[in-house]
Amino acid sequence: MSASQSVKKIIEINPYMLGTMAGGAADCQFWHRNLGVKCRLHELANKRRISVTGASKLLANILYSYRGMGLSVGTMIAGWDEKGPGLYYVDSEGGRLKGTRFSVGSGSPYAYGVLDSGYRYDMSVEEAAELARRAIYHATFRDGASGGVASVYHVGPNGWTKLSGDDVGELHYKYYPVEAEVVEQEMAELPVT
Amino acid sequence: MSIFEYNGCALVAMVGKNCFAIASDRRLGVQLQTIATDFQKIYKIHEKLFIGLSGLATDAQTLYQRLVFRHKLYELREERDMKPETFASLVSALLYEKRFGPYFCQPVIAGLGDEDKPFICTMDSIGAKELAKDFVVAGTASESLYGACESMFKPDMEPEELFETISQALLSSVDRDCLSGWGGHVYVVTPTEVTERILKGRMD
Repeated sequence: MSASQSVKKIIEINPYMLGTMAGGAADCQFWHRNLGVKCRLHELANKRRISVTGASKLLANILYSYRGMGLSVGTMIAGWDEKGPGLYYVDSEGGRLKGTRFSVGSGSPYAYGVLDSGYRYDMSVEEAAELARRAIYHATFRDGASGGVASVYHVGPNGWTKLSGDDVGELHYKYYPVEAEVVEQEMAELPVT
Repeated sequence: MSIFEYNGCALVAMVGKNCFAIASDRRLGVQLQTIATDFQKIYKIHEKLFIGLSGLATDAQTLYQRLVFRHKLYELREERDMKPETFASLVSALLYEKRFGPYFCQPVIAGLGDEDKPFICTMDSIGAKELAKDFVVAGTASESLYGACESMFKPDMEPEELFETISQALLSSVDRDCLSGWGGHVYVVTPTEVTERILKGRMD
């Protein structure tokens, strides 16, 4: 949070797949771009788009081969393929998990609290975006290493779109406005006679 | 993480024309987790003397309690308030008593002395006094604070302008430090009045 308030933590791998950045910024940026290259090569070799399962496995296998060498990557791969929406968690320890909701990073415990208590499978897109925004906001409030901008993207059948990018400093006062204090005693000038 | 950075703090005091201002952030944390956003770090010793304590919060609270005790005894014996210069020497002596097992605190002292002349000073954790004519800083955001104060400070500012300057210096510095911030607390003291204000800052 100290280095920059405007770091892009959602990486656009291709028009229908997104990756999130947690851990080492250089590692995440490089290996996500590398994944984008591999996905494009797959398209050219097989004349069809790569599945989210396949893309996440490509990344997980690369990270596993560098295990123990000090890479720091905690990422979620989100995309849409023939089977519908797909979400995978992949990290530099070599772990890869499929799931319906994840939170990653030093602020993730705080985000999980909000996410888990508000989540329903049949939420609308607006409700889900607001839940995600609130989860990120609460993580930035409690975790010293989180802050800046809460970006929300939506991944649909036609690819991803950016829904919002709100400064969390302003989100705080939108969710918890400062109320004018009731003045108990007020000193006033006496009228001059 | 060093013991001085365990709780997180930002303190600054500035001298103006016949007045001074002392400001702090409001966060209490345990390493990266924020526990409270209304934690008091600046304490009043008497109407014209304030002390801010940065560093480990438990040592800051204990040290404050010991100082209040000593000042109350002084008031009973001398029948007057302590001068800021004398108080600074008292703090320095108390800190050096614990030379080989110190309080993990860095105090910032600000007061109006004889003829209401503003006095500010800071100390390290074992009592080395550092007097200044313009501003003093302490805490985890001290490097940013030095830069901000050096560029924003002008001598002989009136209370309103001093308030604006110290507030901007504090808020911009704590935004670059992940361990301090979550609001601001500013006291502006003139010979006739004390104004206490809470600053609206970034809560991340």
